[in-house]
Amino acid sequence: MMTSVATEVAAPRETVKVTKNIYKPHLMTIVAMRDETHDTRTLRLQFKDPQVAETFDWKPGQFAQYSVFGVGECVFTIANSPTRKGYIECTFRQVGKVTSALRDMEVGQTIGFRGPYGNWFPVDEWDGKRLYFVGGGIGTVALRGVMQYCLDNRKRYDEILILNAARTVADLVYKSEMDEWASVEGVTLVKAVDPGGETPDWDGKVGLAPNVFEELKPTPDNAVLITCGPPIMIRFMLLAAERLGFKPEQVYTTLENRMKCGLGKCGRCNVGPYYVCKDGPVFTAAQLSRLPKDF
Amino acid sequence: MLRKRLTSENLKRWIDALVESGKQVVAPVHEEGLTVFRTISSSDQIADNYTKTDFPFKEWLFPPTEVILRYRFENGEPVLEDPEVDATETVALFLRPCDATAISVLDKVFGGDYEDEFYMTRRRKLTVIGLSCVEPQPECFCTSVGLSPTSERGSDILLTQIGNDFLVEAITEKGEQLVNEYANLFADAEGLTKDQVTAEVIAKMKRTEPLPTFSETYTDIFEHPVWEEIARKCLGCGICAYSCPTCHCYDIVDEATLFEGVRCRNWDCCAFGLFTLHASGHNPRPTQAHRYRQRVLHKFAYFLQTYGQNMCVGCGRCIVKCPVGMDIYEIVQRIGEQVTSQV
Ligand SMILES: Cc1cc2nc3c(=O)[nH]c(=O)nc-3n(C[C@H](O)[C@H](O)[C@H](O)COP(=O)(O)OP(=O)(O)OC[C@H]3O[C@@H](n4cnc5c(N)ncnc54)[C@H](O)[C@@H]3O)c2cc1C
Ligand code: SF4
Ligand code: SF4
Ligand code: FES
Repeated sequence: MMTSVATEVAAPRETVKVTKNIYKPHLMTIVAMRDETHDTRTLRLQFKDPQVAETFDWKPGQFAQYSVFGVGECVFTIANSPTRKGYIECTFRQVGKVTSALRDMEVGQTIGFRGPYGNWFPVDEWDGKRLYFVGGGIGTVALRGVMQYCLDNRKRYDEILILNAARTVADLVYKSEMDEWASVEGVTLVKAVDPGGETPDWDGKVGLAPNVFEELKPTPDNAVLITCGPPIMIRFMLLAAERLGFKPEQVYTTLENRMKCGLGKCGRCNVGPYYVCKDGPVFTAAQLSRLPKDF
Repeated sequence: MLRKRLTSENLKRWIDALVESGKQVVAPVHEEGLTVFRTISSSDQIADNYTKTDFPFKEWLFPPTEVILRYRFENGEPVLEDPEVDATETVALFLRPCDATAISVLDKVFGGDYEDEFYMTRRRKLTVIGLSCVEPQPECFCTSVGLSPTSERGSDILLTQIGNDFLVEAITEKGEQLVNEYANLFADAEGLTKDQVTAEVIAKMKRTEPLPTFSETYTDIFEHPVWEEIARKCLGCGICAYSCPTCHCYDIVDEATLFEGVRCRNWDCCAFGLFTLHASGHNPRPTQAHRYRQRVLHKFAYFLQTYGQNMCVGCGRCIVKCPVGMDIYEIVQRIGEQVTSQV
């Protein structure tokens, strides 16, 4: 016969407030927004705490957890460069619960933000090199911060090529900014949409991003290629880069495994023994080729 | 290491003195047909005749659900509040060596460069008194993962029954302190060794094969068709993870009304189909074979590569609890055969 035990023993319990809380977000005010496409929006956010606003720093390529209180958290790249401080920008596509709630928010409202998390693009190792940025669809968002960084430090790099591609003209992000990018000396801007995705007045290229890139005949000499897009595009970009003579060490991309903690604890985002949230999200093609295909 | 002898009578006295001292004492008790860890008010409540609790000690350090943020809305604006965490000084009694070792696994996850204060607060207040095994169960395989029925890892104090008395090994400073505070209960340990007990208990174990090691790139096993065959019967129910002393995956969700809300972390499990599903619809682990592969390689390879320690402690709970009889010990052996048959 099992004996049952009263578990409510009157042991005095002690509780403490958790003040060093790794999950506690900063509060940020939405100060501006701009629609990029029918389902993608850019927000500009300002820290409510002036001290955080002053000291908050990050590296190009890092990401953060943005939250709508009462709904939840989701992960976006920090889409502006640390050379443009004092605010945070993110560009997100409405796909689910939190992104829909975020889409319903207005200028002046408050959201949560914790970060910066993850590794970053090694912009210091690229001094003197040619830079090729190739973004597809919402993937361009992951490149915007590092692109801005390199444009703002223009003199440190050789020529810069930016290819912004999307399935259709309507899906192309940062349309209103491309003129600004192109106006920087030594920057070539190419925009492209998939065949059938063009409009009558389209003045860009028509073709799949990897093909358009290959046709531009970029030299791999003293160059790095930074690319992000849907998994299928990344796959063909890596093949195109190989044909063009790029070594896997010269090609950078980012992974987007599903995440919860952002801190290497919740066990969500691993690729083999690596956590994309801590060891990534930036990887070279050489590193990716050594990872188990778990992404 | 401090070594002492403790009689059975004095062990009871010691436990009751710990309860008296105002500490929370948690021990295995029988409750509704199960053996589980509960707060006790007397040494009489402690379960007898058991080898392992049905569920591990884990939930005391990492509860199934926990509030990690509180907020309220004032005129629609969120106002954050620091949540509270239990910081009661706690002594955990009679963790088996596998379960004590599991705490050292959790320490690596929740400690490190971003300390999780919810876990760490409870952990700092915890002293673990382990108890060596006497009767291994058919599913136990601790020696295969480098432990033994009398290993000290994870315990602050380890008790090993030798005849009518116990050998007391105080492994950490915390442990020594707890022995020294009650010094009059303990006698000299001279003549007491656990070597013979260890050998006797190991001799009774049914599963003692060494487990395979994997190459660091996993090229030999990752895409192997054997996963498909192995995982075919897995239901993806997740009880293996929920009963495991080292599984630590969690989800983070908000629960709120118009006036206030909380952000909670809840246990999650890599066997679930939604676990890695991207919002885009892409899923890196679309089938149970992908997901079971994650379970096995995380336990027996990835964690080892990152932290230098096996994540599985060989308790065998997942083997007993699985509704369709997935046997992780046999499965890992089988995977190992595939690796060796390839080279
Ligand atoms: C490092 C990194 C950087 C990223 N950067 C960006 C970025 O800059 N911009 C960006 O837009 N995205 C980015 N993402 C992706 C982004 O994190 C996700 O799109 C976002 O978290 C989706 O959140 P959600 O709450 O809206 O979706 P959720 O609602 O949480 O959707 C989650 C899952 O639930 C499923 N689901 C949703 N609704 C339903 C339903 N009704 N029934 C059944 N299943 C459902 C979805 O299929 C999805 O798999 C990034 C991701 C990572 C990891
Ligand atoms: S307990 Fe068994 S059926 Fe359930 S998820 Fe684990 S292995 Fe699969
Ligand atoms: S995987 Fe199974 S045998 Fe290993 S520690 Fe977890 S429950 Fe125990
Ligand atoms: S998001 Fe939690 S481990 Fe990477």
